[in-house]
Amino acid sequence: MAFLEKAPGESLATDRRVLGIAALVVLWLITVPFTTTDSLTGLILTGLVFIMLGVSWNLLAGYAGQISLGHAAFFGMGAFVAAWLTTPTAGGFPESIQLPLVPALLIGGLASALIALVIGPVIFRLTGHYFAIGTLALAAVIELIMLDRRDLTGGATGYYIQADLSLGEVVSHGDMMFYLTLVATIATVVITYLIVRGPTGLGMKAIHDDEDAASSLGVNPLKYKMYAFVVSSFFAGLAGALYGHYTLYINPQSTLAVTWTIDALVIVILGGMGTFAGPILGSGLYLLLDNGLSAIVSGYSEAVEGILIIIFIIYLPTGLYGLIKQYVVEETSDTDVAHE
Amino acid sequence: MVLSDLATQTIVNGLLLGGIYALAALGLSLVFGIMDIVNLAHGHMLMVGAYIAILLFAATGITPLIGMLLAMVLMFGLGVLLQKVLLKHVVDEGLEQPIIVLFGLALILQNLGRVILGGDARTADIGIPGSGIELGFAYLSFPRTVTFVVAVLLIAATWAFLQYTKTGQAIRATAQNRTAAKYMGINTDRIYVITLGIGTALAGAAGALLSMLFPIDPYVGWSYLLKTFAVVVLGGVGSVLGTLVGGLVLGVSENLGALYLGGGYRNVVSLLIFLGVLLVKPEGLFGGSGGGE
Repeated sequence: MAFLEKAPGESLATDRRVLGIAALVVLWLITVPFTTTDSLTGLILTGLVFIMLGVSWNLLAGYAGQISLGHAAFFGMGAFVAAWLTTPTAGGFPESIQLPLVPALLIGGLASALIALVIGPVIFRLTGHYFAIGTLALAAVIELIMLDRRDLTGGATGYYIQADLSLGEVVSHGDMMFYLTLVATIATVVITYLIVRGPTGLGMKAIHDDEDAASSLGVNPLKYKMYAFVVSSFFAGLAGALYGHYTLYINPQSTLAVTWTIDALVIVILGGMGTFAGPILGSGLYLLLDNGLSAIVSGYSEAVEGILIIIFIIYLPTGLYGLIKQYVVEETSDTDVAHE
Repeated sequence: MVLSDLATQTIVNGLLLGGIYALAALGLSLVFGIMDIVNLAHGHMLMVGAYIAILLFAATGITPLIGMLLAMVLMFGLGVLLQKVLLKHVVDEGLEQPIIVLFGLALILQNLGRVILGGDARTADIGIPGSGIELGFAYLSFPRTVTFVVAVLLIAATWAFLQYTKTGQAIRATAQNRTAAKYMGINTDRIYVITLGIGTALAGAAGALLSMLFPIDPYVGWSYLLKTFAVVVLGGVGSVLGTLVGGLVLGVSENLGALYLGGGYRNVVSLLIFLGVLLVKPEGLFGGSGGGE
């Protein structure tokens, strides 16, 4: 398993290379709204939302080891709270609470974090299987209640969000949403990176590997679970708020649908669970598969997703990241040998 | 307090429905207790069983009670295949892998259901003549009564199988202590295959029974997964009697919830009961620590 061990000095070179690639990708993304069609911009925006969903779910499931099946609830609630603030009358709220778009989006994310903060101490009394099913049930309860509260959510028909960020004829609302989503995605990736590389990330990994052992060594499991849950829910909520204000339409059945949980899970499994780059690579692959496959085998996309995650988790549990790493590190270690 | 006629009738209907819930949950409980796997595709297996009965009924007019037997045979095969092809790689490998494999399977079944049968809800009819029973304080409708009796008979048969047959004893031994069972010469790999086969067949049977009472669509899987898991939590993992009681409790509370809070809250009530019990007493209201008792 030589590829798992990092030689001293190699890490710095690899990090530099990765940073370089990341900078190039960001530069390319900045040009996207001006160089491609609106629909392609929308597609890449969806990809960025996928990254936010995947990175945030991976923090909770991959690093802290808490398999939540309720991620969609936080995505959807973020979207709804932000929509209530930008379009209060459609949700039955007084006009006076209306806020500009950017603060509304942030409050959407914060609302999801707050929900996580309140239910966390309760739901984390559950572990393992019970936690997974408990979060699935929680998301189902939230969806059913929101669907029933027509006054707040528009019920099954949903409602249109009123927001316009366009700058004259030059930059459309969609383009502005693209840049906001890009900024939010970079923030998600950087903040998550700092967390998992820091002492908090170490604590999360410790409870993931062996909760009892970590606990007996003075690591408080609840503290790290809560940390991961709240941060993860914030980014999921922010992603939902951004996506809702890009599509300008919101509906409990689609915005809170279990599909968003499935997306997050598939992205992380494809990319490599518990690895930092995994969800980012996974989002790219998933976006390609989702669109490529729906053209070839239309109607079977869910089944293909199901087959893919089964194959990956059994035969390639480290995902795309594991594959690439194996290949790259083998290549570099070959050159190292040649130098000596 | 004197219950109104409506409330009495609602409770009776809830009990009759609860029998089927218990049957549906028994398979989930067995697999959880013995293999330590939560079958996230259990609700979707139930949906497939229901469709087998519905399709047979639609094509030939044969009662879903016969369709149920067909569904059980086919679903047993599916369970055996699933264990032999996929789950054997991941069982005993911790939490994440089996959960994700079964999640994937649920997606596949849901998608196939939608593509093959369309997204609309379908239903079957009991297809045999008979009349309900008037008890004075409540009325037992014919299909509800028949499905309840069949469900309870199947639960009793499963219990007898576990209690008195050699294979059943081996299954319970594996549930109690996997390693010790292996030392006693029990082929635990074979036990897993049989357990998943039985669990899947029971899901199929419950689906076929439900198809006579409620419309079934390809998306009912998640909702029935949560209901059946709620029953398992209420009754305690691996306890046959607990599962029966849990099913009845869920059936009644769900129906009362729908009566007093409105139909939209039928599922909310069951989910809240479920979350409540899960948080207060995760080992179940009636259960011990699991195992095949």
